[in-house]
Amino acid sequence: MPNLKEVIISITNRCNLRCRMCDIPGGKSEELPTDQWKKVISDASRLGSQTIVFSGGEPLLREDIFELIYFTRKNKLNACLTSNGCLIDSQAASRLSASGVNVVNISIEGSKGTHDHLRGEGSFEKALSALENLRSQRIESTVASTVSRYNYKELPYILEVAKNYGSTTVRLQPFNLIFLKDRASGAGFFIDEADIQKMEGLIGRFISVSKEYKISVNPESYLRKIPAYLAGRRSHPRNCAALWYSCPIASNGDVFPCWIEAANNKLIGNIREEGLYELWLSGKRMKMVNSIVNNGCSGCLMSCYDEVFGSRLSKAYLLDKAKKVKKIASYQRLANKAGQLLKSQATTMKLRYRFYASYRGSVTNLLKRRLSRILNKLQGPEKTGGDEKEMALLEISRLKTKLEKEIRSL
Amino acid sequence: MTEAFKKFETNLSYYFSRVLNKRLAKPLWIFISLSHQCTYNCQMCGVVKILKGYELNTEDVKKAFNEISGWQRDFTVVITGGEPFLRKDIFEIFRYAREANLNIEAVTNGSLIDRAVAGKIMASGLKNIAVSLDGAGEQTHDYIREKGAFRKATEALKHLVAAKRDNRGGPQISVWTTIMKENVGELFDIISVARELGVECLVYHPVIVAQEDMQNTSSSARFWLQEEEVKILKGQIDRIVDYQKKNGLVAFLHDPYLWLRHFNGQLTSQEWSCNPFVFINIGPDGEVRSCGAAFGNIRNMDLEACLDTPEADRARGLMKNCRKPCLQTCWSHPEADSLSGIVDTFIYEVRKYSSGRQEKKELLDAALSRLTDYESLLKNAKP
Repeated sequence: MPNLKEVIISITNRCNLRCRMCDIPGGKSEELPTDQWKKVISDASRLGSQTIVFSGGEPLLREDIFELIYFTRKNKLNACLTSNGCLIDSQAASRLSASGVNVVNISIEGSKGTHDHLRGEGSFEKALSALENLRSQRIESTVASTVSRYNYKELPYILEVAKNYGSTTVRLQPFNLIFLKDRASGAGFFIDEADIQKMEGLIGRFISVSKEYKISVNPESYLRKIPAYLAGRRSHPRNCAALWYSCPIASNGDVFPCWIEAANNKLIGNIREEGLYELWLSGKRMKMVNSIVNNGCSGCLMSCYDEVFGSRLSKAYLLDKAKKVKKIASYQRLANKAGQLLKSQATTMKLRYRFYASYRGSVTNLLKRRLSRILNKLQGPEKTGGDEKEMALLEISRLKTKLEKEIRSL
Repeated sequence: MTEAFKKFETNLSYYFSRVLNKRLAKPLWIFISLSHQCTYNCQMCGVVKILKGYELNTEDVKKAFNEISGWQRDFTVVITGGEPFLRKDIFEIFRYAREANLNIEAVTNGSLIDRAVAGKIMASGLKNIAVSLDGAGEQTHDYIREKGAFRKATEALKHLVAAKRDNRGGPQISVWTTIMKENVGELFDIISVARELGVECLVYHPVIVAQEDMQNTSSSARFWLQEEEVKILKGQIDRIVDYQKKNGLVAFLHDPYLWLRHFNGQLTSQEWSCNPFVFINIGPDGEVRSCGAAFGNIRNMDLEACLDTPEADRARGLMKNCRKPCLQTCWSHPEADSLSGIVDTFIYEVRKYSSGRQEKKELLDAALSRLTDYESLLKNAKP
């Protein structure tokens, strides 16, 4: 059975934007305290996870977010932050750098007009300045986009933005109704049958431009499925491997088999009652996952949807995939051994490798980091990234506010 | 209530000591090994083989005690060995410590404790006396230590308990058990042996593979637990934890389930880490260290001066990067591991125990100003 590779934490439901395609901020507002999330992170590390993704809501609205990222890095896990960028001014960027974050994912929906229409007036400028601030702090940034009728014509433009601001990756994800309370209101986001061909052409251009710009994007087969999906055809296979190795946790501590199943109220348990370690290994989860695999899931093309293992979880299929994974592993060994990056090979292996490694930024960067870690090991004690003193200062200021609040409440 | 604030201050000082790698407080635990000479030559113990012939002389010990008694904190001095009761001057040392108003504890194998010695121990002012017991019966304990050792240890405990009853008070009587391959199946049974003898506290700690290399967790080592035995250990821990919840007696220095990961060689510093500022070890040669390299020697300098040498900074800096915690008895003080933990505990205690708005406000204000002090200290620290 594949191990846990990625934990996606929706750290808060609060958000400073009210986007048209998302009603999360209107949902439950309950949140877990810092220490409970730290326990989740160390459990994830014990389970062999590689990445923690902090998403939301807008995760930067949590004042302890830097602390949690720092804690993640201290546990030698990759930390990935998903944000709308509005709160990443130069100070926040320098804090992010001190926290040791690996990748920050900024949402860009298209040109200024489209972006502001979907996300609110002025949000585009702020997102761009976030990308700029991240670049000046040398933090790897990636761009994410929710593809819908409103913005599919601007997909190549998003690549321009990514190129101009030094982002390494553009991740597309088609619009999904599960984020809306009133599902009928989402009808406008889908495309007509007649537009499929047009969109296929744009996706093709998106792919070729991305190659030209050397920007990582989702696997080609995934991107090719988007037009039909957005037109309401559900012809793509419905069993994905995200069930086996990624674990979504909601802001109130609910653990789900996957986000789509979360919308169907399939709950494994809650972090406040049981640790992630116990929940992940529990029979209840296994039963739930098996029943989803056997009955077919409701189907999605969310960004966690796994293309590598994607079509069928039959034994023969998995065996075949296992062989491929082995090859990737041996490639990794080869690269490590040679002590250098075999860049041309890295490009061809890139897409698959990314999903295998469950790292949300560019694979070349990940390989570089692994390599430098090995070199560090030879040269001296391992460094975990992040600045302990800087983080302690942040923690102090948070705790001072807490004490002041306590004094005022007397 | 000042108690809570004192705890808050202590924990803050240890926390920031570690962040800044700069000593802001004196250690809480001072382990002194008077000599490595011993009545036994136990199979798992490497101590007797190193520093042969070295012995701290009484004057040096007294000088250290004088200094420690001047420190304004609650310290505990633990006398270890070798076998401390081999020293002719041991009761003189205890007396001196008592007069200097120190909390003092001792660890022994029990071989030299007869009724008369037990009586003297009760009157010595010790706070705790620990006798090693490595098996629930003769067979295991004697195999590890020496023929007749089990009888001697249990007899020593009987004498101590009887003497304490006669004296109407005295040190806490404890048992220390080393967890190893040979006794893993009897760990739980040791509880009933200890309870029958009238012992008041039972402490378990994992075996050390090599005294010179505390981080050695090679699975091929002689006393190390193999996969099968770790499974047995799991069962034992379940029973011990269950017993402890209902009846106490057992004192855990850390989460016992960490032993499993420790013996599997998987325990990382994220799960358990030492704070080098909390404890020091003084060897029979007078060398002072936390763990690893020595800082200085109490024979030719003051103890406090030893703690502030550049060597001390270097050694403690290296300990910060220790990747394999050894789970020994050096008390790593997890209370001071997380800043938010320290502050939260303090706020909780203030809410719960302090009376009156004024007192609460004063305490919280004091805490706030202490945090501000550390904030400026951090800001001014050189990168």
